[in-house]
Amino acid sequence: MTTTAPAPGRERVTDRDRSPAKRVPERADHSRERVRGIERVWLLVFLAPFLLLYLGFTIWPLIATIYYSFFDWSGVGPIDHFVGGGNYGTILADPLFWLSVVNTLVFALLTTVIKLPISLLAAILLTRKWLRGKRFFRTMFFAPLIIPVAMAGLVFTYLLNPSNGALNAILRDLGLVDQGFDVFANRWSALVVLVLVSIWQIFGQYMIYWIAALQNVPEEVYEAAAIDGAGEWKKLTRITLPMIRPVAVIITLLGLVNAMHVFGLVVTLTAGGPGTSTYVVSYFIYQNAFGSVPFAYGYASAAALLFSVIAFVLVSAQGLAVRRAQRLRKEYGV
Amino acid sequence: MIPRSRWTAVMATAAMASLLVAACGTSSSPSGGGSQTTLRIWDFSAEQVNFHKDVGAQFTKEHPDIKIEWRSITQADYMKTLPLAFQSNQAPDMFYWNATGLSQLLDQKWISPLSPGGTVPADFVKRWPDGSFLEGINMQDGKTYGFPFSENLYWGSGYMFLNKQVFQQAGLDVNNPPKTWTDLKNACAQIKAKTKAECIAAPTKGPDMQRIWYAMISSVSTDEFFDYKTGKFDLTEPGQVKTFAFIQELKKAGYLAPGTNDKNFSRQQFAADQAGIFFDGTWLPSVWASQGFTSDKYVVAPRVNPDSGQTGAAGRKYDTNKYWVSSQTKHPDAMWTFIQWMTDPNGYFVKQYYKSAFGTLAYVDNQKMVTDPALRQIMEIGGKPGYRVQLPVPLLKCPDIAKSKAYVNALSKSPDGEWEAMGEALTSGQPLETVGAAIVKQRQTALEEGLKQEAASGLKVSMDCYTFPDWEYTKDFTSDMYRN
Repeated sequence: MTTTAPAPGRERVTDRDRSPAKRVPERADHSRERVRGIERVWLLVFLAPFLLLYLGFTIWPLIATIYYSFFDWSGVGPIDHFVGGGNYGTILADPLFWLSVVNTLVFALLTTVIKLPISLLAAILLTRKWLRGKRFFRTMFFAPLIIPVAMAGLVFTYLLNPSNGALNAILRDLGLVDQGFDVFANRWSALVVLVLVSIWQIFGQYMIYWIAALQNVPEEVYEAAAIDGAGEWKKLTRITLPMIRPVAVIITLLGLVNAMHVFGLVVTLTAGGPGTSTYVVSYFIYQNAFGSVPFAYGYASAAALLFSVIAFVLVSAQGLAVRRAQRLRKEYGV
Repeated sequence: MIPRSRWTAVMATAAMASLLVAACGTSSSPSGGGSQTTLRIWDFSAEQVNFHKDVGAQFTKEHPDIKIEWRSITQADYMKTLPLAFQSNQAPDMFYWNATGLSQLLDQKWISPLSPGGTVPADFVKRWPDGSFLEGINMQDGKTYGFPFSENLYWGSGYMFLNKQVFQQAGLDVNNPPKTWTDLKNACAQIKAKTKAECIAAPTKGPDMQRIWYAMISSVSTDEFFDYKTGKFDLTEPGQVKTFAFIQELKKAGYLAPGTNDKNFSRQQFAADQAGIFFDGTWLPSVWASQGFTSDKYVVAPRVNPDSGQTGAAGRKYDTNKYWVSSQTKHPDAMWTFIQWMTDPNGYFVKQYYKSAFGTLAYVDNQKMVTDPALRQIMEIGGKPGYRVQLPVPLLKCPDIAKSKAYVNALSKSPDGEWEAMGEALTSGQPLETVGAAIVKQRQTALEEGLKQEAASGLKVSMDCYTFPDWEYTKDFTSDMYRN
């Protein structure tokens, strides 16, 4: 099936012509070339906007957060009440922080486990040649993403309201329930709603990621498989899935990290309730930072840093997998 | 032709210059243009936006050199936006704030005296009833920083609104409203049986639960989660537990509209004739009027008492200061001119305020000015002895409380803790005593330890400042009682 001979009319053997195992990574290491003279000025000119924004909106807030976390500071007035690790000690003993961490992780895992397979399935369907109206379906699936999170939250609050919400009205009319069911009255049902609404909104984005990954699988591989008599199922399981596996690892990582930032839906759908049972870390930080006057910036900063460390450890654990995925990606040329 | 290197240098310089301009922003022209001064006022009265535009225009008509920019932000956002505005030196000239008192505002360096000189003339003070200006409440070291805006006899929560259409459909008489807890349950049973409406539109999302809570608890105890008689945070005290158990009973019986709703949803539910009863405060008639739900469609009634009778009252506070002059204002003279104008008891501001039935002001003869039927019903109810009583004020017992942060700090950790505990208890059915124990312990410990530390550093403060054992819940704690 594979050959190392030059294709007719081509002067040299390219990497694509080799089998994945025999492909040699290109060594086009232009980044190490020294930039001289006027080129340096150009380099600075083009990098300056990004560097300014990066310094102002990433590095500076990060340093400030670390600094604030060692103070009892309300956000107003001088930062002069140094408490050392006091904020960290209090947070580690705060059950609400740990509840928020657990909820965040549960949310991140559930959304990732659900949204990735179904968006992949949708992407596979939408890349089939026989399917008509692909653009329409892509637009439909992508549309929820352009609705602001706050608006989506409000819409679902009304839809799911047990008193006069559309969903409960339908269930009542169908005789499936006697009276409205309040999904926000229980921690787990409220969390499930958060997960489902989040998936509904973000689904289109991951579908686009998958479509991009699927379109990178060389068409000639499918053609060769077809000549060998492979059916659709075999093509999917023996070609498509193995070849997009490297990208899948990165998409999974993105999915997890994005889900850990959940905030807007919690604010609009549950406000952390019932009680505090659907608090997530972002909401916990927000409530402490801005929930009442005086603000607790120091405490909130410490919580943010602690969670960043937890998230960093989790993400780093995926580091090996990602590195392996990148290596595979180069080998497969996708 | 420009040599390549010079052209590159020109381009680089231009790019850097444009970056600098972008980074620094553009400087605005003097506010309002010409010699006109612009005063920026912020609050969270969304229903008063048109009124603010109207009074602003009238003031500018009378004072052409001053323009008013009045901005209303939703309440939840406002409590975050204003502190951030101060932090970034973008605070307005005057602002609405009732979350913390004078001492905290001075400590935060947010406010300056009402008048540029610090003192206010006698004819200004005379606009208010005697005793309205008190050291520590709105005065400090002889300077006047605030003024009572809303009066505190009628203004507040704890009124019951009855929907005429729903009551009529249920065969109930709005002029014979439920008076006891049992009456309320019976009325609800009838509404549920004879109409498609819910009985009570009770928001239970976070702090919005205060609508039903204050209406119920005020007949049992007189508190805002703190009992000034005993000096204790009291969410888990027997009266509170009993009252909450009654609310749980209403929910279990299906008498509370289902769902964890916010106040806006519940208000709409009532206004759309989908609920028969709603509990809220003096401000509600103007909120509903702005939404087209007029006062001829409902009546206002007193809150319901336990069957065993009333043992508490709603709390009145001296501190009804709402509008403050910002420490960051650059126009103190213009601000003082506006304050005198807006507090003129016979002025345009007052007339329009009452025309729109926004409430009851502290510097106006309300009996004479109020014409709105719903507000008049509220005044009749709130004016009855024992319905609303003056709360003890620790500051008037211990002047050093003005410098103390212990109470504020005790409230700042888990700011919505009580509402969150009640929300959890309401949905889970657990007793409030169990769910609320942690927040009560946390607050009490923080207050007691905070006061001890402050006392050790030289302040004359203690738990005694917060304890008034001689106070009776249903009677005013009058100024002469501090001398005992």
